Amino acid sequence: MYNNGLSYAGISLLSLLTHISMLAIVFAKGNYDSVLAPLILSAAVLVSDIVYFFILKFLKQNTYTIDILMITILNMSLIFQSCFGKVSFDFKHFIFCILAVVCMQAGFILTRNYDFIEKHKYIFYGAAGFIILSILLLTGSRGMWIDLGFITIQPSEFLKPVFVIICATSLAAQQKKKKILGIKVVYDNLIILGVTGAILLLQWWCRDLGSLPTFMAVAACAFIMRICYPKAKLSKKLIAGICIAGLAALVVALKFAPSYVQDRLKVDIWSDPTGNGWQQCQALIAIAEGGWFGKGPGHGRLYKVPAADTDIIFSTISEEWGLLAALLAVFMLMLIIVTALINTPRSYYHTTLTTGVAAVFIAQSALNIFGSCNMIPFTGVTIPFISKGGSSMLACGFMIGFLKAGQSALFPIPQRPDKLRQNRRSV
Amino acid sequence: MKSLKRGSRLITLMLLLFLVGMGILIAKIQSEAAFYISNSGSRNLGFVYDCNGDILFDDNAEDGDYPAGYFKDVGNLIGDASGQMTNTLVANNMEYLSNYSFTSGITAKGGKAAIYSTLNHSANEAVYSSFGSKNGCAIAYNYKTGEILVCVSRPSVDPITGYADLEDGSLLCKPFYKTVPGSTQKISTLTAGIETMGIDKLMSKSFTCDGTYVNKTGKEIHCHNQYGHGTQNIAEAFANSCNPFFAQLVEDNDWSLDDIINVYTQMGYAVNGAESRYYSIDGITCSRASTDLENKNEFNTQWSCIGQGTSMVSPCQLMMWQSAIANKTGKATMPYLIDHVTNVNGRTVKSAETAYSEKLFSANTAAEVKKIMLENGENYTGKIPGYTLGIKSGTAQVKNGDEENSLLTGFVDDDDFPIAFAILIENKSEYDVTTEAVANEILSSLS
Repeated sequence: MYNNGLSYAGISLLSLLTHISMLAIVFAKGNYDSVLAPLILSAAVLVSDIVYFFILKFLKQNTYTIDILMITILNMSLIFQSCFGKVSFDFKHFIFCILAVVCMQAGFILTRNYDFIEKHKYIFYGAAGFIILSILLLTGSRGMWIDLGFITIQPSEFLKPVFVIICATSLAAQQKKKKILGIKVVYDNLIILGVTGAILLLQWWCRDLGSLPTFMAVAACAFIMRICYPKAKLSKKLIAGICIAGLAALVVALKFAPSYVQDRLKVDIWSDPTGNGWQQCQALIAIAEGGWFGKGPGHGRLYKVPAADTDIIFSTISEEWGLLAALLAVFMLMLIIVTALINTPRSYYHTTLTTGVAAVFIAQSALNIFGSCNMIPFTGVTIPFISKGGSSMLACGFMIGFLKAGQSALFPIPQRPDKLRQNRRSV
Repeated sequence: MKSLKRGSRLITLMLLLFLVGMGILIAKIQSEAAFYISNSGSRNLGFVYDCNGDILFDDNAEDGDYPAGYFKDVGNLIGDASGQMTNTLVANNMEYLSNYSFTSGITAKGGKAAIYSTLNHSANEAVYSSFGSKNGCAIAYNYKTGEILVCVSRPSVDPITGYADLEDGSLLCKPFYKTVPGSTQKISTLTAGIETMGIDKLMSKSFTCDGTYVNKTGKEIHCHNQYGHGTQNIAEAFANSCNPFFAQLVEDNDWSLDDIINVYTQMGYAVNGAESRYYSIDGITCSRASTDLENKNEFNTQWSCIGQGTSMVSPCQLMMWQSAIANKTGKATMPYLIDHVTNVNGRTVKSAETAYSEKLFSANTAAEVKKIMLENGENYTGKIPGYTLGIKSGTAQVKNGDEENSLLTGFVDDDDFPIAFAILIENKSEYDVTTEAVANEILSSLS
């Protein structure tokens, strides 16, 4: 068992206090017509906190840190999302928060046993193929969304957890090299390479280049983990060759990128503050207006700008709650990743899985925050859990489950030799 | 276990990169927040003052708060925050005027963010008025420190009274834009001659002017004196502003076109379509000179060296060359408009420092050009009395020769009153105000 240094009750209380403090700020400084709005929000947050802490006692895990951090972030997100423009309980986001917790448990159960994943890895290859096909066939004219009428789904979000799992499979196969046309290769690596290529082409085709760096970060981590796999034999020449090929591909991709991507790479937002630079200019102005401590929940004006609760969420939070609060939210998110450094996974599979999840979370957060603040091209991706968006919430929930699996792994129990003999006799 | 640690290292590396990025982001927001606010609708901008404390910009001013036309002499230089003019002091320095700090937010009243400019408002108003009904511009600065003291451009705009029914050119501060230099170009050609041939060789050359010179390609170069200036040396031709002399000098076998191009380029000209560059004067862009010099025996090249053709120079750059000559260093003193800036709390956050250009020509050349300009300046003691002046005038034909602009550039050779200036009067006729009268006004209002 891990020694987390914090008692279960202590860390639960800390989470509860965080939410109570935020709700107190909503009551004191929030913009609301009736006190009922913050009351409903408070009830939803506090009841869900207490209920989850209670349920958690019945779950059999080595550590509960991730769960408590998860509920802390989700309810912080619920408070933020319910306050933009005016305090009003965001029921839809609340439901997705609950579903994200369910997905976390599902992801945890699914990936905690390496043998299970390895045996069923072809199902995940199939799942990736299914998602790719659904994007090609169901999203309309080179789009990213499937509109079911009552709800829209972004299938590429679900590709992320599937891709992370695929990248963590077949690690033992690194030592099973076979010759194809005189070159020693690992079949499973070729499949992963193929999936990576397919995702790359798909993202390019449906103009969702914002998610491309996230997928590439996962692929790069998987590549590095495979190089590091015990006894994996990759020559330095091959590694150098792959790196050079990767860089060349990046240069070519940037050169031949579609015009809207080129525009975003070159745009000087302040020379076009009402056109191409509109969102980022408004986002930066909002951060400046919010200062360290914000204008108060519901008192911002950035919520009127498109994607205020998704792509430029960091600025929207900064404006209403202050830069300190926005940094705290990001810090909490990164703290979940940091748990993997404290409660280190005990198998290479779980380490690879954890690294993939860390790559997704860090890459997405960086793309969102640095992009909206004009440090890198603006891509329009979400910050996990903080931004609104059902598909993203559920997919990220799954991936947090993978992190949990790394810290509460299930290893197959080796059969005793006498049991083995008995089995042989019965046969 | 060793191989498992590699995963942790990879995660640590990614987290560190992210944290470094966040650190940079916080630093960026801290340093640029005032700029962001200056672009928002909820800004509160401070004042721009002249060197004596006169207000030159007041974002909250309304019609009637100041005397009529109070801001007109600086309207297209200082500008306002409306976005109507982009190449003005306010438009390019709004972040300095923002009464805002990241910690305390926007200060609605009592904010001390301000720009203290080097401009002398009363002198500026006097110079602006001295143009009478004529359009044009004038700029003057301290050639030892770089402080711009006078900068007017007519027609202008008073931002308080609005932008309706404005005359063409009202929104441009002309000292920073290129114009045909006329015979003030001969300063550049004289400089190039001394720089490449040396003063002795150049002085040894004499050419004859009969009023018209037919060049080697058969084209006529006319002199403003139809009877001609006779045989002259360079100093006399410079004083006479003799076009035939300069055409023959350019054709001279001892002087190659490459020599002229090299010195012109060093002085800041974009020659033969070279990429145009700009000076930035506290954010205001000032265009640099340009010309075409393709064949020294052809009319166009000779005409460019005389100051017509494709030669274009901004009055500000003419003035800057005067500093390189007056200081006898060959380096121009870089002009500036902002003396210092205070933030919302009144703390000085930026102070001007005197800066110099790269070497435009040698100090010896500067000294020799200065001598010749001072000799020429003696001809102006009647019109601009009381000063030791180095001076060159010019007349530029514009609009296909339908109009003539009058130019004057020079410097006062006095360590206690180191003023360099450039003046342009557009479409000047015989009975209009003269450039000398404007120069007189500049010097008397500053002394």
